[in-house]
Amino acid sequence: MTLDPRSRCVAVVADSLLEALLPELQSRGFGAIQLPPAELEPDVAAAWLEQVAEHVAEFIRNDYEVVLADDGAYRAELAKALTALDVPQLAQYAIQPPSTSRLTPET
Amino acid sequence: MARVAFIAHCILNQNAKVEGGAARPGMWEPVLDLLREHGYVIRQMPCPELAFGGARRFWGVREQFDTPLYRRHCRRLAKLVASVMTQHVSAGDDVVLIGVDSSPTMGVDFSPSAPSWGGKPDIGEDDSTLVRGDGIFVEELKAECRERGLPFPRSTGIRHWFPAYDPDEERRRVEALLTGET
Repeated sequence: MTLDPRSRCVAVVADSLLEALLPELQSRGFGAIQLPPAELEPDVAAAWLEQVAEHVAEFIRNDYEVVLADDGAYRAELAKALTALDVPQLAQYAIQPPSTSRLTPET
Repeated sequence: MARVAFIAHCILNQNAKVEGGAARPGMWEPVLDLLREHGYVIRQMPCPELAFGGARRFWGVREQFDTPLYRRHCRRLAKLVASVMTQHVSAGDDVVLIGVDSSPTMGVDFSPSAPSWGGKPDIGEDDSTLVRGDGIFVEELKAECRERGLPFPRSTGIRHWFPAYDPDEERRRVEALLTGET
């Protein structure tokens, strides 16, 4: 049961993609879980991904839609963290094509 | 030097709020718009309550969350946040933190209190009050920063669930934070 305007749609987003995708995610009503920045020490990154996977597991357990917009930086590590919690791998977020108005040449 | 904002998880993901607590479908745009306007890099912190109590947790107040086990959980997450914060501070970045002032966990200046809450999940009339002080996670993050010799960033909390919430006051307060006036 949802008692508020939440979308129940969550995108797990690579740090490198977050800024560019933010307007689109906002307009589509997605919440976001940010993946860690690329320059982290491996053990810190692994622990960060472990808590991301815990968040994802809880959303999926409660029938939220969770998708992935990643850049490949932590693909294997995130997959491992999800598998450890028996969470299926996430479907890829479909980035929306640019508006056709932006493709119309100036006259 | 980059400008970096550590923000409460739910600012970027309203789905993490306790049921009934989300004010938007996905994100709390007023803060995100300000961060964009002022050129801040976003660092989303974990949601300790979601990970601990689950998506269907009950509303709670500070007295219910203030247990040794919950503090250990918060400290585990605080260590991660502090690790990332350390990198930014070492690089000379300008770091701020934005929490949620109606949260027993992520409150910065205020958190909710009700000494009698407990038992049957039916509080009747909400008699909780907002009291001065940090939420449990913010307290643990401050302790972790102290242990690392890391300065705690200047900070504030969003107050969209305050009874007398004033969006203009909040915008001015957050802008003052982002421009270094506080």
